[in-house]
Amino acid sequence: MAATAKHEGRLRLSLFAAFFCLWIFAICGRLLWLQVVEYGFLTQKAARQQQRSIEVSPPRGVIYDRKGRELAMSVQVDSVFAVPSEIPDQASTANLLAHILKIDPKEMLAKLESSRSFTWIARKLDNNVAGRIRALNLKGIYFQKEPKRFYPKNDLAAQVIGYVGMDDEGLAGIERSFNQRLSGRPGKMLISMDARHRWFGRVEKNPEPGQNLVLTIDEDVQHIAEKELDAAMQKTHAEAGTVVIQNPKTGEILALANRPTFNPNNSRGLDPKSLKNRAVSDVYEPGSTFKMVTIAAALEEKVTSPNEVFDCQMGSIVVGGVRIHDWKPYGLLTVSQILERSSDVGAIKIAMRLGEDRMYKYIRGFGFGSQTGIELSGETRGITKPVNRWSKMSIGAISMGQEIGVSPLQLVSMTSSIANDGVWTPPRIVAGSTSVAQGRTGTAQTVVFRPGQQHRVISSFAAAEMKRMLEGVVLQGTGKNAILDGYSSAGKTGTAQKINPLTHRYDRVKHIASFSGFAPVNNPAITVTVIMDSPLGEHHGGTIGAPIFARIAQQVLEYLDVPHDIEVRNPQRMLLRAKAKPEEEMEGSPDHVGEEVAENDNQQEPPAIVASAAQPGGQGIVPATYHSVTAAETEHAAPADGNPALLQSSKSLLAKTGTVVLDVDAAKTVPSFLGKPVRAVIEESEKAGLEVDIFGSGVARQQNPMPGARLPTGGHVTVQFAR
Amino acid sequence: MAKRVSVDRWLLGATLLLVLLGLVMVFSASAVMAKDRFGSPYTFVLRQIGWACAGVLAMVVLRRVDYRKYKHPAVVFTLLGVTMLLLVAVLFLDRSHNTHRWIRFGMLSFQPSELAKPTLIFFLAFFLETRAVAIDDWRRTLLPAVLPSLIFSLLIVKQPDLGTALVCMAMTASVLFVARMELKYLGYGVLASLPALYYLLFHVGFRRQRMLAFVNPWNDPQGAGFHMVQSLIAVGTGGITGIGLMEGKQKLFYLPEPHTDFIFAVIAEELGLLGTVAVVALFGVFCYRGMRAAIRTSDPYARFLAIGITSTIAIQAFFNISVVLGLLPTKGIPLPFISYGGSSLFITLACVGVLLNISQQTD
Repeated sequence: MAATAKHEGRLRLSLFAAFFCLWIFAICGRLLWLQVVEYGFLTQKAARQQQRSIEVSPPRGVIYDRKGRELAMSVQVDSVFAVPSEIPDQASTANLLAHILKIDPKEMLAKLESSRSFTWIARKLDNNVAGRIRALNLKGIYFQKEPKRFYPKNDLAAQVIGYVGMDDEGLAGIERSFNQRLSGRPGKMLISMDARHRWFGRVEKNPEPGQNLVLTIDEDVQHIAEKELDAAMQKTHAEAGTVVIQNPKTGEILALANRPTFNPNNSRGLDPKSLKNRAVSDVYEPGSTFKMVTIAAALEEKVTSPNEVFDCQMGSIVVGGVRIHDWKPYGLLTVSQILERSSDVGAIKIAMRLGEDRMYKYIRGFGFGSQTGIELSGETRGITKPVNRWSKMSIGAISMGQEIGVSPLQLVSMTSSIANDGVWTPPRIVAGSTSVAQGRTGTAQTVVFRPGQQHRVISSFAAAEMKRMLEGVVLQGTGKNAILDGYSSAGKTGTAQKINPLTHRYDRVKHIASFSGFAPVNNPAITVTVIMDSPLGEHHGGTIGAPIFARIAQQVLEYLDVPHDIEVRNPQRMLLRAKAKPEEEMEGSPDHVGEEVAENDNQQEPPAIVASAAQPGGQGIVPATYHSVTAAETEHAAPADGNPALLQSSKSLLAKTGTVVLDVDAAKTVPSFLGKPVRAVIEESEKAGLEVDIFGSGVARQQNPMPGARLPTGGHVTVQFAR
Repeated sequence: MAKRVSVDRWLLGATLLLVLLGLVMVFSASAVMAKDRFGSPYTFVLRQIGWACAGVLAMVVLRRVDYRKYKHPAVVFTLLGVTMLLLVAVLFLDRSHNTHRWIRFGMLSFQPSELAKPTLIFFLAFFLETRAVAIDDWRRTLLPAVLPSLIFSLLIVKQPDLGTALVCMAMTASVLFVARMELKYLGYGVLASLPALYYLLFHVGFRRQRMLAFVNPWNDPQGAGFHMVQSLIAVGTGGITGIGLMEGKQKLFYLPEPHTDFIFAVIAEELGLLGTVAVVALFGVFCYRGMRAAIRTSDPYARFLAIGITSTIAIQAFFNISVVLGLLPTKGIPLPFISYGGSSLFITLACVGVLLNISQQTD
């Protein structure tokens, strides 16, 4: 009995021991499984939660001007991240951070709860915000330096340089078109913690800094352009303005300014209008400046010569069934004079002699209708129709810069090719790039970008003739305000009516005043093109564009140390310029011939529509001079390719009235303020429903516009007072 | 009369090695936390060293005290009474970690539930020896034998500390099993406890979550399964050789209670398979030598005592390790000798002293 009991007792003990043995086996098996078989999987899991590889933004390349001055650079600023598991009290930490960063505490708390090991709190903070967070000395909150884009010159050349988004991604301008070069390659940083409770960043891969870019822009020249453009904007109350300065020989853009503009340092919530780089992306009808193309082509093709006399038919010509009037009746004019006085009839007659095909060849030759290839995003090709889509009137319209859409940059390039002895040079704005030295062994690499392919458009002989004639424009024609002191200058004025985007018709009050020219004439150093969009009141290329050209060119030439080619303070020239009467600088915004582009036309062309132009000649309003032309009077039958819409609209319009007088109701006649004291001027202008901008004190000596001119209600009259 | 033999070196050696390893690992697991909380990385380990010294002293002293001295109603019922009083008292004392487990005396804190384990062992051994002839008389033997365990367990569950309560019940069952109780009673007991266990496991929110997380921890690695997943990651990261003492990362932010309940995961991470197998082997040696003592003694009282002590320690150890390895659902059971916890270490070492005394009195 006792033996069996003892035996059973031993049996039970053995069973008990066996139970523990099995348990130990199970544990050892599990250990093998976890620590040997699953080792890789679990190690990976551990790494994923203990370490975090974050991208280290590479420093973005610097954008320099041609003299190595920074236009865009990157500064190291603080970004804040949290290691939530180290934060003792997440709710209060979230509250504190949210208060400083001005965001919802709940959102912040959600961020902290989203991960235990790593979460960004805020990136690229201002120094003072980062300082305030640092001052809190919060547990589990860390700082990481990240590069942030900074534009030291603020809005200087803003549209050229562009701006970047939050992630340093170029969103406009050079920043965008050279984003890849500038941005470099991001590095990797492994953030992990060591056993002593410290987080540390171990750099896995160094970020490759982006390449630096050197622009052809000269900061000082740019500054001159911007300053003068600002002044002009102030004075003319224009909606927008563009100035482009180019070296005609190399095609390098020295300055490119647009108004309105923006500050790329705070690129959020910007007006798209101010972001637009009008110089490359705007398409407008150039107007008279385009006569340069017409006449240069005719000279090159030897269909005429500068001294050939054309009968300008007292300012009236019929093209393709439409009668076109010069703004002022001219009789016999030489080709030079046609350019000087900007006679439409003369230009049309020259173009008709040239013929459509040859005209088109030179339009394309001067770079219109194709991108210039400048290193800026959003460049337009302009609008150029091939000859087979021209109407009978097109040759007339195009010869004086209508029915064609160009960008300011294309106009600059064309002017430069005349200045550059007839060779068209592609404009360029990026001179080259330099890469930062890589590591110890690498060397900095500088790449000079090759200029694009040049091509000859007209012979140097024709170009020389053009230069002389364009100098004549400045000295004797519409461009007297472009006379410089100590330098010869040449150029062409332009006044074009804008097309109202709503009505697709020529706007009666909105004009584009432009001047495109170069100086000095014989060895041009700069080409300057000024385009003012919708100046209020005075709107002629000669009175608006030419003075801006003169001020800019004068300063830039002196800054560039271009030797004077004319006696400084030459009394004759000074006199010439001083005597420049507004009247002489005016040119009619010409009658708009133009093919009616039917609404169903699938090309996005601004429909050049038969719209009558008010022809402010300085004294009172000039009735629009659109006459009905009967079929019998036309030299040509109605266009064969058919523009019934045009004919219909013009007929119906004309049948009723015969003459269209514009703006009679809305317009106010500008009274004469001359000789009156300030007080009287203000009273009188109020009566007239006009605004006056007063300069100086005493009695009125000068006013603009002149008495008798018509302005829309609320228009501005600038009055200069003196004692 | 049993003749005196020299001390069981294996048992003593395994115990001391485990205690030493425990001190090292407590330091490794708690240094960062201690620095954070108290400004010195040594806070926890110094306390543990203090308790370990006291414990080893107690062990050495008790090894020399004849175990038969405890076989006295005065000793047994005093212990029962005091434990009972403390277990009730702790429920009315302050809460920490949302539980009523500790009684504090200034710097020191003490868990009455730790005292419950040896008290029950001494009681069972004393009582069963007197009732050895009628072990299966359920009214006069089984019920009185189990009653203190039941009452203690219920009080401990109330703290709440289901793990320790389960250890108490498992130990009671082990002693009864070795005392040759008929197996059917064991079956009844298990059946009777199932509904209660089910209720406790699935109707108390946090345990239910733990259970579900145990079934599939990767289902919700950031939520309920977090502890389990972190523990598995720590163990797996160790590989064969471990990532080096003090180098573990999981203990820093991921493992819950790295210096107590999950210290085995820290060992696994830092010392690898070699370390973990060594620890399991040491417990295996301890278990084997404890049972050997139970088998070799001819005194039923000594056998019950030895089985009670050995099974308590072994069950706790293997349960804790199984939890860490994801073999059992998470329960708050410390790893004997190793986990941080003064009262537990002290009492465990004292019990080993009694076990050593038994082992050296075998024939």
